[in-house]
Amino acid sequence: MLAVELQGIWKRFPGVIANSNINLKVEQGSVHAIVGENGAGKSTLMKILYGMQRADEGTISVNGKIVEFDSPSDSIEVGIGMVHQHFMLADNFTVLENVVLGSEPTKAGSIDFAAAKSRISEISDSYGLEIDADALVGDLGVGDRQRVEILKVLYRGARILILDEPTAVLVPHEVDELFEALRGLKSEGITVIFISHKLDEVLQIADEITVIRRGTTVATLNQKTQTVTAEQLAELMVGSELPTPETRGSTVTEQVVLLVSELTSVNSDGKAEISDLSFKIHAGEILGIAGVEGNGQSELVEAIMGTRAATGSIWINDQDASKLGTRKRRELGVAYIPEDRSRLALLLDAPLWENRILGHQTQAPNAKGIRLTPKLTKMDTKRIIQEFDVRTPGIDVLASALSGGNQQKFIVGREMSGNPILLIASHPTRGVDVGAQAAIWDELRAAREKGLAVLLISADLDELIGMSDSIKVILRGKFVADADPATVTPQQLGNAMTGALKAAN
Amino acid sequence: MTAVLSILKSGASRKVKFLALFIAVLATLSLVRMWADVLDLTSRGTISAALGLAVPIGLAGLGGLWAERAGVVNIGLEGMMILGTFGAGWLGWQYGPWAGLLGAILFGLLGGGIFALATVTFGVDQIIAGTAINILGLGFAQFFAKIAFSKAPGGGPTQSPSISALPTFTFDRLSDPLVSLHGKGYFIISELAGLISGVFFRLSILTVFSAGLFAATAFILWRTPFGLRLRSVGENPHAADSLGVNVYLYKYIGVLTSGVMAALGGAFLAIAASGVYREGQTGGRGFIGLATMIFGNWRPGGTAIGAGLFGYIDALRLRDANGTAMRAIVLLGALALIVLAILAIRKKRYQVVFGLGITAAVLISWFLLTTALPREVALVAPYLATLLVLAFASQRLRPPAADGIPYRKGESK
Ligand SMILES: Nc1ncnc2c1ncn2[C@@H]1O[C@H](COP(=O)(O)OP(=O)(O)OP(=O)(O)O)[C@@H](O)[C@H]1O
Ligand SMILES: [Mg+2]
Repeated sequence: MLAVELQGIWKRFPGVIANSNINLKVEQGSVHAIVGENGAGKSTLMKILYGMQRADEGTISVNGKIVEFDSPSDSIEVGIGMVHQHFMLADNFTVLENVVLGSEPTKAGSIDFAAAKSRISEISDSYGLEIDADALVGDLGVGDRQRVEILKVLYRGARILILDEPTAVLVPHEVDELFEALRGLKSEGITVIFISHKLDEVLQIADEITVIRRGTTVATLNQKTQTVTAEQLAELMVGSELPTPETRGSTVTEQVVLLVSELTSVNSDGKAEISDLSFKIHAGEILGIAGVEGNGQSELVEAIMGTRAATGSIWINDQDASKLGTRKRRELGVAYIPEDRSRLALLLDAPLWENRILGHQTQAPNAKGIRLTPKLTKMDTKRIIQEFDVRTPGIDVLASALSGGNQQKFIVGREMSGNPILLIASHPTRGVDVGAQAAIWDELRAAREKGLAVLLISADLDELIGMSDSIKVILRGKFVADADPATVTPQQLGNAMTGALKAAN
Repeated sequence: MTAVLSILKSGASRKVKFLALFIAVLATLSLVRMWADVLDLTSRGTISAALGLAVPIGLAGLGGLWAERAGVVNIGLEGMMILGTFGAGWLGWQYGPWAGLLGAILFGLLGGGIFALATVTFGVDQIIAGTAINILGLGFAQFFAKIAFSKAPGGGPTQSPSISALPTFTFDRLSDPLVSLHGKGYFIISELAGLISGVFFRLSILTVFSAGLFAATAFILWRTPFGLRLRSVGENPHAADSLGVNVYLYKYIGVLTSGVMAALGGAFLAIAASGVYREGQTGGRGFIGLATMIFGNWRPGGTAIGAGLFGYIDALRLRDANGTAMRAIVLLGALALIVLAILAIRKKRYQVVFGLGITAAVLISWFLLTTALPREVALVAPYLATLLVLAFASQRLRPPAADGIPYRKGESK
């Protein structure tokens, strides 16, 4: 029995063909993974299946019947639910409000909050989701938000679950928990369609795997009847070998580029988000910060960039930067890849070349004196697009039209321009396909050899261990352990991050 | 005072907190009344006038709330209010006050409809569209008033013939004894007496109706599926869309309701407050309404309190022939600043404490060195109060997250 069958799906955007002749069959009660490089058209295809976008051509069948969706409410009706690549949550709403929105239980015309609550706790208990229904979503970390999204879908009684890159933001044990939940769903006969760039995860959870390349389905592999390897998938996706994050030899020098001492930042409730953090990074050194999200990483980065008030001192290249504003700090040669790209790194409604200026508005090639120099900016934007293989129809399209991974590649390209001396990178390869991952890692390695100092924050522990020259573990805003990347395993690091072990080595 | 603060900080129920705050306000008023020796501060006349002045402002604020909860910033409230005054005057003088109300509603729908078409359907910048509505509403009313009222008996190019009055309630048996109780000048008791007698003195049915609108808004927007969906459109329209909520429809409903509320505010001015349509009658109340909504943190209760505050200061100013009551307000303002300063001390925000302290000190010395406030100062007092309140409250405000951002379907973010 097929839960979903897509036949001959086409979708065109101005200047791009996102889907061309897609054919896909998904068995009921199975986990079906979809892999493909950035911009291959995975999210677009899922949005079509979920009724958020209309296909130009092609048919969709659900449980053997041909359907047409005008809006998500149509697809919700036949039992499809989707967890989007970017969270679709209202921060000012409680978990409960987010979950029931659109299908609220009522009693005498008003929302039956009690019934909703018991339903939510019932679902979250039976799948081990553990969420406080009254918490404000804005206060939750990413792992929790992810679970709220899944809860939303299950609450609507979905039998077919679409998960668009659900693990991109999770740490290993959260991924394990998610997979545990997915297996539970599968055993109840629920179908899961799962998108990920992490091939080992795909191999771990999927029954079948479909590869999409440049908008078309190129192969479907069945893990029950054949052995599938990550190399094979990578080959099919991008036609290249699987990259590994690894730096060879130490390039660490004596010159201190970033010197942070006793950095403390207090939030509006008087609670310390980070307390007494001291460390230094030398030229040519990559310092990795390991930690479960929400343990002060964001605050540390913001304090260094000057977007959050903090006490303590920050010296960049022997200059006291503690009192400098963000622009002045950037002019000292600090590059910044923020964790939330759509909020902090891009103007989604502005063309790509204008986004090239962002954060570098006083520096060449964007400005000369008080004047902007759009011509040079545009030329340089073209260079970034080429060098970093950003898949886009041009430099005049709005940033929002790029796929998630291509946005990320563009940001990395922008920040690596102009020979920075220090790079603050939060999850630089999040949501990026294996090919682009390799390119970003290469870029980091090359810059490191030339003396770039890097503060690397990543939820991908392989990346962290592979790239870093040294690792510090952060827990509740304090450094709790140091780890040696040469010897530590992801498991040990994971334990240290959750406070299960005192030290990782 | 600190006792009240600790109650507010504690986990006591909302009712208890509200009661504590209420008593604290009464006590402060009482102290100020005694110190400044101004009995009129809480007299029946003042309270009654304050209520009458608060209603149109509050309705405008409520209108702003409906639009902004659906994610549309409505600075066209003033224009929609003007349309409401005209609608009320036009149908009101011919067919009576109830028809006047209907006229206001229709013209409110017209203003809201144009605004929704521009901002929701065509995605025009909301500030520009709102400004256009203000200009349009004014011009429209002036033009048609000339046509409709010039030849009417008792009317003129800028004024309609009078509209017959709507019923008002006076509970003399309750009100009169309370007035004499107020006159005795007991601590707190007199304030309470003045308050109650003022509320039940010549209470317009429109005022009751408006209070009902506030309660209904609170219930509808926060308790019903419809309200949750409308608010979700103002918080994250993409999320709402992904759950099958028709974003455009809810934005339309929000903006149309906004127009009706603002127009009803205008109708109150024309029907209950003066009995005629008159050019320039709204006098910027639409904008003040917007300010009260922000002051009220985009919530009906807060908006009502904000409107009450404005109405109160305005009423005092109007009734204050020699400037003594306004002088008392200076003292009241200083006390309020001191409370804010205490709060800031607890939060360890010493720069703010410093600023508040200085301002309070200036106000108190002003109070001590004068016996009356110049009229000019009294005139700007409500606006000064707005500025002060907004300046100090702005950090705690939580507007809808997608407020003011045009929504276009299908644009993935
Ligand atoms: N609303 C849109 N307007 C214009 N182009 C779009 C739009 N949405 C997607 N595209 C384009 O369609 C292509 C496919 O995008 P899609 O988001 O489906 O990729 P993806 O496979 O999910 O990539 P990623 O792994 O990076 O998330 C991309 O080239 C993208 O730029
Ligand atoms: Mg995608």
